[in-house]
Amino acid sequence: MTLTPQKAGVPEQRRHVMQVRKRNGDLEPVDVNKIVKAVELWVADLDEVDPLRVATRTISGLYDGASTAELDKLSIQTAAELIGEEPQYSRLAARLLAAYVDKEVRGQGVASFSQSIRYAHGLGLIGDGTAAFVARNARKLDDAVDLRGDLRFEYFGLRTVADRYLLRHPHERLVVETPQYWLLRVACGLSKDAREAIDFYRLMSSLAYLPSSPTLFNSGTRHTQMSSCFLVDSPRDELDSIYERYHQVAKLSKFSGGIGIAWSRVRGRGALIRGTNGRSNGIVPFLKTLDAGVAAVNQGGRRKGAACVYLEPWHPDVEEFLELRDNTGEESRRTHNLNLANWIPDEFMRRVEADGDWSLIDPSDAPELTDLFGEAFDEAYRAAEKKAVKTVKARDLYGRMMRTLAQTGNGWMTFKDRSNALSNQTGEPGNVIHLSNLCTEILEVNNDDETAVCNLGSINLGAHVTAGGVDWEKLRETVRTAVVYLDRVIDINYYPSQQAAASNPRWRPVGLGLMGLQDAFFTLRLPFDSEAARSLSTRVQEEIFLTALEVSADLAASFGPHPAYPETRAAKGDLHHELWGTQVTQADRWAALKEKIAEHGLRNSLLIAIAPTATIASIAGAYECIEPQVSNLFKRETMSGEFLQINTYLVRELKSRGLWTAPIREAIKRAEGSVQGILDLPEDVRELFRTAWELPQRALIDLAAARAPFIDQSQSLNLFMAAPTINKVSSMYLYAWKAGLKTSYYLRSRPATRIQQATVTVAAPAAPVSLIAAPTEAELCSLENPESCEACQ
Amino acid sequence: MLLDPGMDLTLRPMKYPHFFDRFKDAIKNTWTVEEVDLHGDLADLALLSDAEKHLVSRLVAFFATGDTIVANNLVLNLYQHVNSPEGRLYLSRQLFEEAVHVQFYLNLLDTYVPDDKERAEAFAAVDNIPSIARKAEFCFKWIDSVFELRALRSREDRRAFLLNVICFAACIEGLFFYGAFAYVYFLRSRGVLQGLASGTNWVFRDESMHMAFAFDVVDQVRAEEPELFDAGMEQQVRDMLAEAVECEVQFAEDLLEQGVSGLSLSDMRQYLQHVADRRLAALGIDPIYGSTNPFAFMELQDVQELSNFFERRVSAYQVGVSGTVSFDDDF
Repeated sequence: MTLTPQKAGVPEQRRHVMQVRKRNGDLEPVDVNKIVKAVELWVADLDEVDPLRVATRTISGLYDGASTAELDKLSIQTAAELIGEEPQYSRLAARLLAAYVDKEVRGQGVASFSQSIRYAHGLGLIGDGTAAFVARNARKLDDAVDLRGDLRFEYFGLRTVADRYLLRHPHERLVVETPQYWLLRVACGLSKDAREAIDFYRLMSSLAYLPSSPTLFNSGTRHTQMSSCFLVDSPRDELDSIYERYHQVAKLSKFSGGIGIAWSRVRGRGALIRGTNGRSNGIVPFLKTLDAGVAAVNQGGRRKGAACVYLEPWHPDVEEFLELRDNTGEESRRTHNLNLANWIPDEFMRRVEADGDWSLIDPSDAPELTDLFGEAFDEAYRAAEKKAVKTVKARDLYGRMMRTLAQTGNGWMTFKDRSNALSNQTGEPGNVIHLSNLCTEILEVNNDDETAVCNLGSINLGAHVTAGGVDWEKLRETVRTAVVYLDRVIDINYYPSQQAAASNPRWRPVGLGLMGLQDAFFTLRLPFDSEAARSLSTRVQEEIFLTALEVSADLAASFGPHPAYPETRAAKGDLHHELWGTQVTQADRWAALKEKIAEHGLRNSLLIAIAPTATIASIAGAYECIEPQVSNLFKRETMSGEFLQINTYLVRELKSRGLWTAPIREAIKRAEGSVQGILDLPEDVRELFRTAWELPQRALIDLAAARAPFIDQSQSLNLFMAAPTINKVSSMYLYAWKAGLKTSYYLRSRPATRIQQATVTVAAPAAPVSLIAAPTEAELCSLENPESCEACQ
Repeated sequence: MLLDPGMDLTLRPMKYPHFFDRFKDAIKNTWTVEEVDLHGDLADLALLSDAEKHLVSRLVAFFATGDTIVANNLVLNLYQHVNSPEGRLYLSRQLFEEAVHVQFYLNLLDTYVPDDKERAEAFAAVDNIPSIARKAEFCFKWIDSVFELRALRSREDRRAFLLNVICFAACIEGLFFYGAFAYVYFLRSRGVLQGLASGTNWVFRDESMHMAFAFDVVDQVRAEEPELFDAGMEQQVRDMLAEAVECEVQFAEDLLEQGVSGLSLSDMRQYLQHVADRRLAALGIDPIYGSTNPFAFMELQDVQELSNFFERRVSAYQVGVSGTVSFDDDF
C-alpha cells in the first residue's frame, strides 16, 4: 500500500450539480429521473418499493465524477440497505444485480447460453465433454433458459451466486455466465441428453433442490471435483504416513472439499520412538503443521480450506487436543484453523455417568483400539487399561470437553459405537467407521488406502409446502431426480487423491439432505418444539428415505448393485430404520421396497445425510437444513460482505396486524431479533416466532432423534445456548447421547458483551445508582439470561 | 465518594458491584491478536481503488497511535482518581485491552505497510498528517487539562476531571473511534478487508465497554455529587463535542477527498453529528444537531451476526465458562 500525499480543500458534494462519468468517458449530470426509471423496470409486483427513495438515497452516497458503473453498484447497495424496513427491497436489489450481471456478460459478446459455454471453453474454463454436449444441443438448451428465473432470487442469494459461483474470465475477472446459464451449465455437466439437462436445470432453477457447493462450482468445468466431503483415516503411527496425509489433505482441499481426518493412531507425547531411542512430542506439533497446511489452501478464492480433526478420548494427548482452539497459551500449541471433534466410545459415557476412572492409553501400546467398536472395543479397552499412560476421572475429562465446547463452540461430540452399529456399511468385520466429516453428517467406512467421499445435495422443503400441507408427490418427484444426479456424480467426479478414487466406486454413497424445515414450520404455523412439528419432520424424513431407497434399488436393477453391496447390512435384509427399531407409516411401500432390494440390491450403500447447507440455503433463500431460525433479524457475514436477514414470515404477520411500524422494528432490533417482548402480538404468535436461543434445546434433540431412524448417515445438529454453563452443557450432551444421536455439531453461544448499538435510541442517563445494585427488570429479562426470565421459557 | 482522594483497598462490602460486574464481563471477551487472520486482506488491498487505498492508509495511521493515547490517559488520569478498588480492577482490565489493541494495530501496520519508511511515517502521523495531528492535539489538550492534578479536592478539580472522563469516553472512544468504526464497517459491508474488520470488531466490542464504564463513572458521580453538573459544565460538554465533531469532519475530508462511492462527505458529517447527539443523550444533555443516522450499513452492526465457519472465525464465543459436570440441569 502506498500512502498518498495530503491534499487540501475538498469540495462538498452537493454544492454543485453532481456529474457521473459514462462508460465512453463523457461526463453528464446525475439525473434522479433516470435512476427512478431504471428501478421502475423491476417493481411491477413489488408494491411496497419506492423507486424515488432508492434514487435519492443513491445520489446522496455518490461523489462527484463517479463512474456509471459505480452508480449502478451503489443503487444495488442502496436498495439492499432498505431491506430492514421492507423485505421487498431484497427482491429489487436482486433484480438490479441480475441486470448488472447480465450487462457484464453481454458486454463480452455473449448473447445465449451456448455462446457463454463456447466463450468459457475458449478461456479454458469448461470441460471438453460439456462443451461438445452443449454444442450438439445448442438450440434446445438455449430455448430452455428461463428468462424469469432470476426473479426468484433474494438479494443475498444472488449476491452469493454472482460473487462466488459464476465463472469468471481468468484475467479480467468479469463474469462470463448469467445465473441461469450457470445452473444450466451445472445440469449439462451431469446429463446424458438435452431432455435430462433441461429437467434437472428446471428443478434447480425453481430452487426446490440444489446440489452442494462443489457440484455447483465445478460441474461442467475442467476439474469436475463435485464432492463435498472427504473422510481420511488417521495416519499410521509413522512419519511417512503423517506427511502423506498432509499431501492428501492439501489435494482434497484445493478442489473445494471439506476434510475430516482422524489422528487417533499416532502415538502421544512421551511415547518411545524406537528408531532414534527418543521420546515423541505427541500429536500437537503435527496438528500445528496440518493447521498451517489447511490455511495455505485457498479454494479458488471462493472459500478457505477447512478441516476437522477427530480424536478418541482414550488418546494420551486428549487434554492438549482440547486446548488447541484456546485463544490463550503457547501459540505453537494452538491451531486456529482446525476444527476439533471427539470420537467417543460408549464406554467413556458410561464411566462419566458412573463417575468412574478413565484410562489414557497410547495407541502404540494398543493399536487395535481404533479399529474396534461396541463390545469388542469395550473388551479390548479394558484389557489395555493395564498399559495406561495415565488415569483420570471420566467426569473431569468430560467436563473439559464441555468447557471447550462452551468456550470455542468446537470439540464436537460424535459417538463411535452408535455410528458404527447403525451403519449399513459395517455389515462385515473389518469395515469400520473411524470418524465423521467436517460437518458431522457423514459416516462412512475408510482405512489407510481408502478415503471416504460423499456427494451432497439438499431438498428445499419450504418449496414443497403450502399452508395446506406438504405436497408429497412433488417431494417424491424431487427425491427421484436428486438421487439420480447424486449417483451420477460418482462416475463423473474428478478424484483429487488415489485413496478417494479407491473408495467411492465401491460404496457409491450419497448424501441427500434437507433445508428449509423452519420455512415449512412457519408456513404451517407449527412451533418448532410442538408435537405436530416433530411428527411432520419425522414423516418428511421417512418419505425422503423411502423414496431414495426406491430410486437406488431401481438404479441397481438397471446398473447393478454397488460392488461392496454384499458387505452391507442391507444385503442381510436390515435397513437403517429397522436397526434403529422404529415404526413406519407406509408399511406397504416399505414391504415392496424390501422385495425389490432383495432382488436387485442397492446402487448406493448410503443415501441420506443432513448437511448444514449454509451457502446453498442462502442461494435458495431458505432457512438452513433442520435448524430453527437464529433470530428474526440478524446479519450474515460472508466473503461477499454483510447482509441483513429478516424473517419475512414475521413481517407478513406483523403487517397483517398493522404492527410493522418503526417503533416495533426498533424494539425487535433492540431485543436482538427477539419478539418475545412485543406484547401486542398474541402469545401463540410469539411462540411461533421464537428463536433458537429461546427454544428448549431438548426439543431440538428430540426432533433429531425422532427423524434419525430415516437418516442412514447423520445430521449436522447445532445446539444453542446463549450463556452456557458446564452444568447445562454436560446435561445436554448426556441427553443427546442417551437419545441415540450419532453425532452433534457446534455448540453456539453468544458473546458476553456486545458493541454498543449505534442506531437504536439511547436511554437517558440512569437514575442514581444505588450502592448495592440490583439487576433491573430489563436486565433480568435479557436474552443473555433466559433462564431467569419467565417470559422466555 | 468515588472521587475522594485516596487509595481505597476494600472490596468487601463492595460499594460499586456494577463496576465489578463490568470487570467480569470484560474477561469473558478475551481475544488475542493471533486469532485475527489478516492473510486475505493483502489481496483485497491490491484491488482497492486509489481513493479507497488513501482512506485505508489514513485510517491505519490513525489507529497506529489512537489507542496508545487512550491508554496513557487511563494510567495518568483515570486510574489515579477513580477511588474504588472494583473500578480500578476494571481499569486494569481496560488497560490490558488497550495494549491488545495497540498490538493488533501494530500487527496490522506491519502487514499492510511492508516498507519500513512508510511504516515509520504512519506512526509519525500525529506529527506529519495534519488531519490526524489536529485530533491528537484535541486529545492532548484534555490530557493536559488535568495532568497537574494529584488529588481532586475542589469542585473545580472534580469538574475538570469529569470533563476529561467525558472527553475520552464521548469524544475519543465515542466519536473518533466510532467514526473509524463507520469506515471499517463500510468496507466490511462491501466484503473487503475482512481481517481488519474482524479485529476491529473485537476492538469495538471492547471500546463499547470502555465507554459504558466511563459513563457509569459519570452517572455515579452525578448520583453522589449532583451539584457538580451545572449549566456551565453542560455548556462545556456541548462545546467539547462540537469541537470533536469538527476535528472528525476535517479528518473525513482528508479520508474521502478522492471520492468513495457510497460514503459521501455530507453523509459522514451527518453520521458524526448523529453520534455526537447520542453521546449527549447518554449524558442527559439536549442534542446539538438533531441529525439522524444516514448509514444503513451501520444498522447491520446492531443485529446478531451469523458467520459461515467456512468463511469467518465466529466471534461470538465466551471465555471463562463456569460450572461443574451435572446431568439434570435444564437446557
